[in-house]
Amino acid sequence: MSDASLAVSVGGLRLSSPLLTASGTFGHDPAALALLDPADLGALVLKTVTPEPRPGNPPPRMAEFRGGVLNSIGLENKGLDYWRETVAPQLERVPVPVVANAGGHRIADYVAVTTAFDAMAGVAAVELNLSCPNVDGGTRFATDPGALREVVAACREATAKPLWAKLSPEVSDVASLARAAEAGGADALTVCNTMRGLLVDWRARRPRLGGGTGGMSGPAIKPLALRLVWEASRACELPVVASGGCQSAEDVLEFVVAGAAAVQIGTAAFRRPDLFSIVARDLRGLLEEERVGLEELRATLEPSPPVS
Amino acid sequence: MDTAAPDATGVGCRRAWITARRDCGPDAFVLEVEVDDPPPPQPPGRFAMLSPWSEHDLGPGPVIPRPFSIYQRPAPERFTFLVQVLGPGTRALDALSLGDHVALTLPLGNGFVLPPPERPVVLVAGGVGSAPFFAYLEERRAAGAGERTWLLYGARSAPRLYDLAAFAALGTPLLTATDEGDAGFHGSVLDLLATELDAGRLPADARFAACGPEGLLHAFARFCRVRGLDAEVSLETYMGCGFGVCNACAVATDPDGPLGAWPWAKTCVDGPVFALEALAP
Repeated sequence: MSDASLAVSVGGLRLSSPLLTASGTFGHDPAALALLDPADLGALVLKTVTPEPRPGNPPPRMAEFRGGVLNSIGLENKGLDYWRETVAPQLERVPVPVVANAGGHRIADYVAVTTAFDAMAGVAAVELNLSCPNVDGGTRFATDPGALREVVAACREATAKPLWAKLSPEVSDVASLARAAEAGGADALTVCNTMRGLLVDWRARRPRLGGGTGGMSGPAIKPLALRLVWEASRACELPVVASGGCQSAEDVLEFVVAGAAAVQIGTAAFRRPDLFSIVARDLRGLLEEERVGLEELRATLEPSPPVS
Repeated sequence: MDTAAPDATGVGCRRAWITARRDCGPDAFVLEVEVDDPPPPQPPGRFAMLSPWSEHDLGPGPVIPRPFSIYQRPAPERFTFLVQVLGPGTRALDALSLGDHVALTLPLGNGFVLPPPERPVVLVAGGVGSAPFFAYLEERRAAGAGERTWLLYGARSAPRLYDLAAFAALGTPLLTATDEGDAGFHGSVLDLLATELDAGRLPADARFAACGPEGLLHAFARFCRVRGLDAEVSLETYMGCGFGVCNACAVATDPDGPLGAWPWAKTCVDGPVFALEALAP
């Protein structure tokens, strides 16, 4: 054990650990905190809330492949009113900062949810899900820099709390999207979301998911996420929260060197809800061993990336 | 009480080690593991997520863990699981040796709603669907209700009546059925249930509960609805996490049922045991 500090700063938010849950993989409410030691968690990032209830997609909603899982949940959630009444009061008792995640189809949807989050004492920051692959039109804001800038700017008007924009991996030029989020007034970027994939049951001649295609997550997408974190962090001044395939302290440090200020752990915590403690312990060990701090390591990757 | 949140006392991901392994049938085994810091006694029907242990990351094995009913608890710090080897998750567990570590997340799910001892109970199992019923039978026997608790155990063939000797040793009434007819009743376990009910050898006012393949559970649900039987089913759906965060294990509910108007329940936290009237017909 060592006492290397894991504290980091992300877009106005001071976190005791760089390890965060990832939206969509740790529930709508804080109930699952019972399964881990919150001391090792920097922030609790909750599942997307939309203005209206959304029943989500038909099962099966998840299928495994070597290296990851494909999911098609379809943003199942009981809507903002329910969340405001039943979840928001619980958040004030959560021992770590809570990042609430807003979703929708139109700018007005994002603004409505962001406005509501702004009024909740238990919400420390707002993450905009601009990139869900499992809803119709879910990636529009993520692929068009103009649209993305517009939705971020509208939400910026709606809250003084730190505002994070969660970007999609399904873009040819993440740098332009990162700059659009920055121009819109975001405080940080989350890079990235799942990427659409397909798994096939060839005997049945059908997709293995009820929703057809689904979002890929897990260790298989780590190289994709690393590349995007690297490109996005060099394209703008915003801190980047990495999300995609992280499952170890080594992975965290790869993301930090590529430019991440913090790292979300999602799919890997399905199997090991105690992973946050394991990774935090190992991180302290590695930092002590190398006699280096997280801030020092951040964005130290060389050489320059390809022209973007 | 069908909508109560599961008891979270003692829930967590523990490092357990394998203390015994016993093959049973052509494709299954009973895995016994031990932990240092066991949770309190659990009602029958709750479950655990299992995967190979790794000290620094996910390590070998599948990306997501696999759910198993708590089969037996031979000592406070020991649990057994009945594992049928079906795919990469169970093959990874099959490959482990005595002393190897597993990641064991438990106790999860809700468990059965146990009727009072004087009320008869009829349990219907298909294949490894017998797993949650061992503890149920033990519990009933301890409550002095063993003779009023029947297990109807069906499988494709006799070798797939997994761990049958252990069930027989409980001394509670046990009837078997095989599709191939090499043990017990020749036919499905549901045909056996119908036959016994029609002959008056099983009480229709019993609490019924079933666990097994999806086809069996659907047929069981129809059967109970037609006959107006009071029944629960223990479901197994594809799960990502087992503790309510991934929303993958959605099961369609009856909007007029006890779980309310939302069209889905989570098998892992609202179940795996559901009253029949909670589920969409």
